[in-house]
Amino acid sequence: MRVVIAEDNALLREGLVLLLTSAGHEVAAVAASGPEVLPALLEHRPDVAVLDVRMPPGFRDEGLRAALAARAEIPGMPVLVLSQYVEETYAAELLGGGAGGVGYLLKDRVGRVDEFLDALERVAAGGTALDPEVVAELLATRKDDPVDRLTPREREVLRLMAEGRDNATIAAQLVVTERAVSKHIGNVFLKLGLPPSDSGHRRVLAVLAYLDKRFHA
Amino acid sequence: MAPAGTTMPPRRRRIEGAPSPMRGVARYTPAGWSAHLSPPDRSPSLIGMNARVWIEWRATEQLLRAAGLALVSLLFLPVLIFTAVVALTGIGAGVVPETVLLLRRIAGFKRQEVERWTGEAVPELYVPVAGALGVRVRTALRDPATYRDLRWIAAHALYGWLLAYAAVIVWVVGALVDGVWAGGLGNRAVVLPLVGRLAALDSAWSRTLLEPSADARRSAELADRVEELTATRADAVAAHGAELRRIERDLHDGTQARLVALSMRVGLARRAYEKNPEAARKLLDDAQDQVEEALAELRHVVRGIHPPILTDRGLVGAVRALAAGSGLDVEVTGEGLEDARRPPAAVEAAAYFAVAESLTNAAKHSGSPTARVELTRTPRALRVTVRDEGRGGADDSGGSGLLGMRRRIAALDGIVQVSSPVGGPTVIEVELPCVW
Repeated sequence: MRVVIAEDNALLREGLVLLLTSAGHEVAAVAASGPEVLPALLEHRPDVAVLDVRMPPGFRDEGLRAALAARAEIPGMPVLVLSQYVEETYAAELLGGGAGGVGYLLKDRVGRVDEFLDALERVAAGGTALDPEVVAELLATRKDDPVDRLTPREREVLRLMAEGRDNATIAAQLVVTERAVSKHIGNVFLKLGLPPSDSGHRRVLAVLAYLDKRFHA
Repeated sequence: MAPAGTTMPPRRRRIEGAPSPMRGVARYTPAGWSAHLSPPDRSPSLIGMNARVWIEWRATEQLLRAAGLALVSLLFLPVLIFTAVVALTGIGAGVVPETVLLLRRIAGFKRQEVERWTGEAVPELYVPVAGALGVRVRTALRDPATYRDLRWIAAHALYGWLLAYAAVIVWVVGALVDGVWAGGLGNRAVVLPLVGRLAALDSAWSRTLLEPSADARRSAELADRVEELTATRADAVAAHGAELRRIERDLHDGTQARLVALSMRVGLARRAYEKNPEAARKLLDDAQDQVEEALAELRHVVRGIHPPILTDRGLVGAVRALAAGSGLDVEVTGEGLEDARRPPAAVEAAAYFAVAESLTNAAKHSGSPTARVELTRTPRALRVTVRDEGRGGADDSGGSGLLGMRRRIAALDGIVQVSSPVGGPTVIEVELPCVW
C-alpha cells in the first residue's frame, strides 16, 4: 500500500517509516508540520494516511483537522489518526461523515506491530479501527440500560464490534467459532433493539450510535 | 485604665463598604435623617401635636446625651494637661498611649451615637496601639487619627453644650407658639421641628470631624488588600508546592519505577535470547505490557496537570467534550471566550476541573438527566456556573471532590459558591479572577 505519514516527532516519524517499509508498504510522502499535510494527501492520494493529531505550528489538533479536510475533499479517503491521548469527541468528529476508512488509535498501539498493521489494512479497506480506550469510555458512561442486560460474553462482543473488528477476528480473540460469534451478535442487536446489520462499517456506526448519540452519521 | 489592646480593636478596622471608597463618605443628608424618623417628618402637616412632641423628645434625648458627652469632653482637658505634664517632665511617657486609647473610646462612643441617629456608620480608622512601650507611644503620637479626635473633642466640648442649650430655648418658645398654633388651631408645628434639626446638626458636625480623610481611607484599603493578597499568595505558593510534590510522586513511584522494571526485563531477555528463546519471548511480552502501563500512567499524570484537550480546543471546546462524555444532557454556553482571548492556562485548567467535578457529581448523585454549564467572561474574572435540576443536598462532607475543587480555586484567589437546597436545584458557581 502507498502510505502518507504526518508526524512531527523525528524519532516517531522514522520509526513509522521503518515499520511500514519493513512490512512491505510504500511511504509516498512524509509531512512534519500541519500545513504540509493536506497538500501531501491531495497530491499523493495514498491508500491510507497515518496522521498525528498534534503538530506544529500551533501544536493543537492540526493533524485531525487536516484529516477532516482531506475527507471533505475526497470522501472516504482512509485515514488512521494517532494520538498520545484519545478523546471521544475527536472519534465522533472523524466518524461523523458516515463514510468508512477511519482509524483512531493511541500511539501506544503502534508497539503491537501486528495489530497495528492489521488495523491499518482494515482502515485502508474502508473499515474502522477505534481505540479500545474510546470504546471503554463510551461503555462506562452508559448505565442503567440494556447494555447492563448483556451477558459478559455479549459485552465483550459489543466492545470488539465497536472497535471495528470483523467476525473472524472477534472469534479468534474470544477463542470461539465464528458461528458462536454470529449468535452473540444477533443477541446483542436483539437486546439493544437495533436492526440486524451485516459486518462492516455500517455495523460499527450502528453500535457506536447506540452507545453515544454523537456518532449518529 | 484598661491595658492596651483591649480597649480598642487590635487590628485596623475594615472600612465599611470597602471596594467603593465613596460609600463610606456618605454624609448626613436631611433625607437620610428624615428616613430615620419617617413617616411623620415626611408629611409634617398630617401629624398631631402629640406625635410631634414625641418625635422632638427623642431628638432632645439625643441632644442631652451629646451635652453629657460634651461634659466628658470638657473633663478630658485636665486629663490631657496631666498627660502632657507627666510625659514632658519625663516622669512617664507610658501614660500617653493610655490617654490616646481613652480618647479613642470617647470618640468611638460618639460614632455610635451618630450611627444610632442617622442609621449610617461613621468609618473609623486607627493604627493599633500595641507592642513595646516606645512603639506604643510613637504610634499614639503619630497616628493622624489622634489629632483628628483631639480636634473633634475640643469642638464637641463647645457645640455639644450649645446645641443642647438651643434645644431648651426651642422647647420653651415652641411650647408657647406651637401649643397655640398647632395644638390649638390644628396647624402645622413650626418651632418644635427645629429640635430635630439641632440633633441633625450635631450628627453632621460630628461626622465631618470624626471621619478619616479620603487619603487615609484609601491607604488603609490598600493596606488591607496587600494583607489579603499576601495571605492568598502564600496559599497559592503552598498549593503549587503540593501539586509539584504530587506530580513528582506520580512520576517517581509510577512511571519511573515501571521503566526500571522494563529495562530489567529487556536485559533479562537479552541474556536469555541465545539459550532460551522461548523465555526471552515471554520476557519481551512482559516488557511490552510494562511499557503500555507506563504510557497509560503518564497519560493520567498529564491529564491531571493540564488536560491536553484544553490546549487543542480551548476552554469552551474542552468543556463541550467533557459535557458530551458526562452521560447527561448538558447545555454549554460560553460568552466572550473566543480563541484569541484565552484566559491564562492555570485559570482554564481550574475552570475545567471544576466543571468536570460538578458534572461528575451531577451524574452520580443528583438524579437529574440534564445540566447547564455557563462560562462567562467578566471584566476581571472568569465565571463558571454549573446547574442541575436534581435532588440537591450536595455538601463538602459528601466526598473530597468539592473540597479539592475549593482548594484548587482558592489557590488562584477564586471563589466557589455551592447552593444545593434539599430538593434541588444544585448550582455551583466559581469565579476565578484574571486579567484578560
